[in-house]
Amino acid sequence: MPQVSMIPEPCRVLEAAPQNGHDVHFVIEVPKKVFAPDPGQFVMVSLPGIGEAPFCVSALPGEGTAEGTFELLIRRTGRLTNLLTRFKAGDTMYVRGPYGRRVEWEQFEGSSLILMAGGLGLAPLRSFVRRALFRRDAFRRIDVLVGARSPEELLFRDELLTWKARRDDVHVRLTVDAAREGWGGRIGVITTLLEGFNADVEDSYAFLCGPPVMYRHCLRKLLAMGLYENHLWLTLERRMRCGIGLCGNCQISGHYLCQEGPLFSYRELRTMREAV
Amino acid sequence: MDNEVYRFPRERLDALIERLARDYRVVGPVKQGATWRWADIRPGTAIALDYPTTMLPPRQVFAPQREVLFRFRRGADGHFDFEEPAVERPVALLGVHGCDLTGLRVLHSFHESSCRDRVVPGRLERSFVMGLACWVPCLAESFCRDMGSLEAESPASLYAWDIGSVLLLKVMSARGREILQDVTPLEAATAEELVNWRRRLRVRHEAFPAHLKFAPEKLAVALEAAESDIIWDANADRCLSCGRCNLVCPTCTCFDVCDQATLDGSDGARLRTWTGCQVPGFSRIAGGHDFRPTRTQQLRYRIFRKGKYMPERYGLVGCTGCGRCTSHCPTHISIRDIFRQVGGAP
Repeated sequence: MPQVSMIPEPCRVLEAAPQNGHDVHFVIEVPKKVFAPDPGQFVMVSLPGIGEAPFCVSALPGEGTAEGTFELLIRRTGRLTNLLTRFKAGDTMYVRGPYGRRVEWEQFEGSSLILMAGGLGLAPLRSFVRRALFRRDAFRRIDVLVGARSPEELLFRDELLTWKARRDDVHVRLTVDAAREGWGGRIGVITTLLEGFNADVEDSYAFLCGPPVMYRHCLRKLLAMGLYENHLWLTLERRMRCGIGLCGNCQISGHYLCQEGPLFSYRELRTMREAV
Repeated sequence: MDNEVYRFPRERLDALIERLARDYRVVGPVKQGATWRWADIRPGTAIALDYPTTMLPPRQVFAPQREVLFRFRRGADGHFDFEEPAVERPVALLGVHGCDLTGLRVLHSFHESSCRDRVVPGRLERSFVMGLACWVPCLAESFCRDMGSLEAESPASLYAWDIGSVLLLKVMSARGREILQDVTPLEAATAEELVNWRRRLRVRHEAFPAHLKFAPEKLAVALEAAESDIIWDANADRCLSCGRCNLVCPTCTCFDVCDQATLDGSDGARLRTWTGCQVPGFSRIAGGHDFRPTRTQQLRYRIFRKGKYMPERYGLVGCTGCGRCTSHCPTHISIRDIFRQVGGAP
C-alpha cells in the first residue's frame, strides 16, 4: 500500500456566507490533487498551529457547484472552528482528503429516496440531495425531510425553498421543534414528518443525518413502516485525528468509521455496540 | 534454519552491539531507578539481559509517545510550506521477551491491514530484533503462557536462551546469521550445554502456572457471552480513568494529534502523541456528545478491543499476557481476572 501523507493542501475560500450566529457556509477551491468525493465522505480541514478536524462535504465538485469548487458548512464549537468561521473570501484553509467509504450509487437507481436531516445533519445530507437532483432521472420519488430546533437554526433556507419550488421533482417537508410567532410552517420533532408518510417504502432507500437521538426515533419509525434494514443508511460522527484508519479515536466495536463509514447501513450498524 | 543453535559467550555481547551499531540505532533494556526501560546502548553499556520487564513496551521505539508528523513554516507568500521528517536509522532491539515479540507482531499486523500508513510497518521491517527467552514470569500479574506468547520467537532475527554459562542463539533469518557470523565464528553448543538447555526447557512450564482454562482464540466467544454488565461494572467501579493501562500496553496504538507553534504562528510542527480509550473525552465529539461516557463502557471497550475486535480484524489477539496494565493500574484492575471472570479459571 502506498504511503499516505497527513500533509494538507492550501485551498482558497471563494465565498463565506454566515447562516446564523454560529454556522458559516463556505465555497472552497478544490485541492490540486485528484479530488472527487462521494456523498457521505469527509475532508480534514486544518490551520497549521491551531489544529485539524473532520468535516463532511456538503456539496460535491460538479454537482450544482461552480467548476473546481466544493462546499463545507462549519459550526463554531471549538478553537479551530472559532477561527474558521471568521474566514472570508480569499483566506486559505488547509485540506486533505476526501476520506471515508464510497457507496455504489448504482444500487439505489430506479428506487425512491427518503433524505432526512436533523439540525446540522443537513450539511452532509445536502450532498446527497444535490447528487439525487443532479441525477434526477435515475430515481423515482424523492422526499427531503428536514427538522431543526427553530426557524433560525434551519440551514440552507434559500436552497430549501428552491427545492420546495420543484414540486414535480422533489417533495420537501420542514419542521421545527419550537418557533416564535410568525413561523407559518410545521412545529414538531422530525419523526412527525413520517406520520402519514405514503411513499412506496418497500422500494425506497432512506439516508439519515442528524444527532443520535434522531436516529433512535427515526430508525424505529422507518423500520415499522416496512423499510428494509439494508435500505436504511446513516451518517455517523466521531472524534477523528487522522482520517486514515490509524488514530483509533473513531472506532466503533471493531470498525473504523473513517474507513468503513461514516456512512453505514442499519444492517451493518444494528449489532455494533455504542453505535448511536 | 530451525536447528541452528549456536553458543555465544556473553563477553561477545559488546562485539554484537558494535557490529549492529554500524547499521542500526541499538536499543536494549537498561535499569533506571527501580524500573527498566528501552534505551540506546553502546558497547560497554550495562545491558540488563536479566531484566524482569520494562515499564513501557518496545512499541515506544517504533511508534514513539510523541512524534513529529510534519513541520510547517509560513512562506513569503503567506502560505505554509510543509516538510516531513527524514527517515531515521533503523533500530536493532536486543533482549525482547516473548510477550513483546508478540506485541511487535500485533503492531505490524495492525498497521498492515488497517491503514495506508507505512511509517510504523517500515520501521518494523527495517529493524533487527534479538529475542530472549524467559525462565520465570517477570511479573506476578503476567500470564504469557496462557496467551501463547511465552514461546513466541517471531519476528526475531536471532533468539537467545541464557543458560548461565553462555547464551544459546538460534538463527531465525539470513540477516541474523550474517550479523552473528560477523561477530563470532559459528560455534556449536557442547553436548553438556544442549542437555542443560533441553532440561530447562522441559521444566519451564512449571514456573508458569496456567491461569485461564481456555485458549486465547476462544476469548472473543467468551467475551460475547459475557453480556451481563456485572463483571464490567464491578471492575470499572475502581477505574480512575488515568489511562496508564493504555500507555503501558504493547498493542495499544491510539494517538491524538496536536500542533505546536511559535507565538506568532509562523513556524511549528504537527505532532502525534499517545492517548487511549480509557482517558476521559476519548469518545467525545464536538458539541459534547460522548458515545462511551461511562467507565463501564470504556473498560468493556478496551477488553473487547484486545480480546475480540483485534483478533477479528487482524487475526491476532490484542493481549500478550505481559501483565503491564494490571501491574501499573493504581487500583489493580486485572485483565487476567476479567478473562477468568468471563471465561473461567482452570
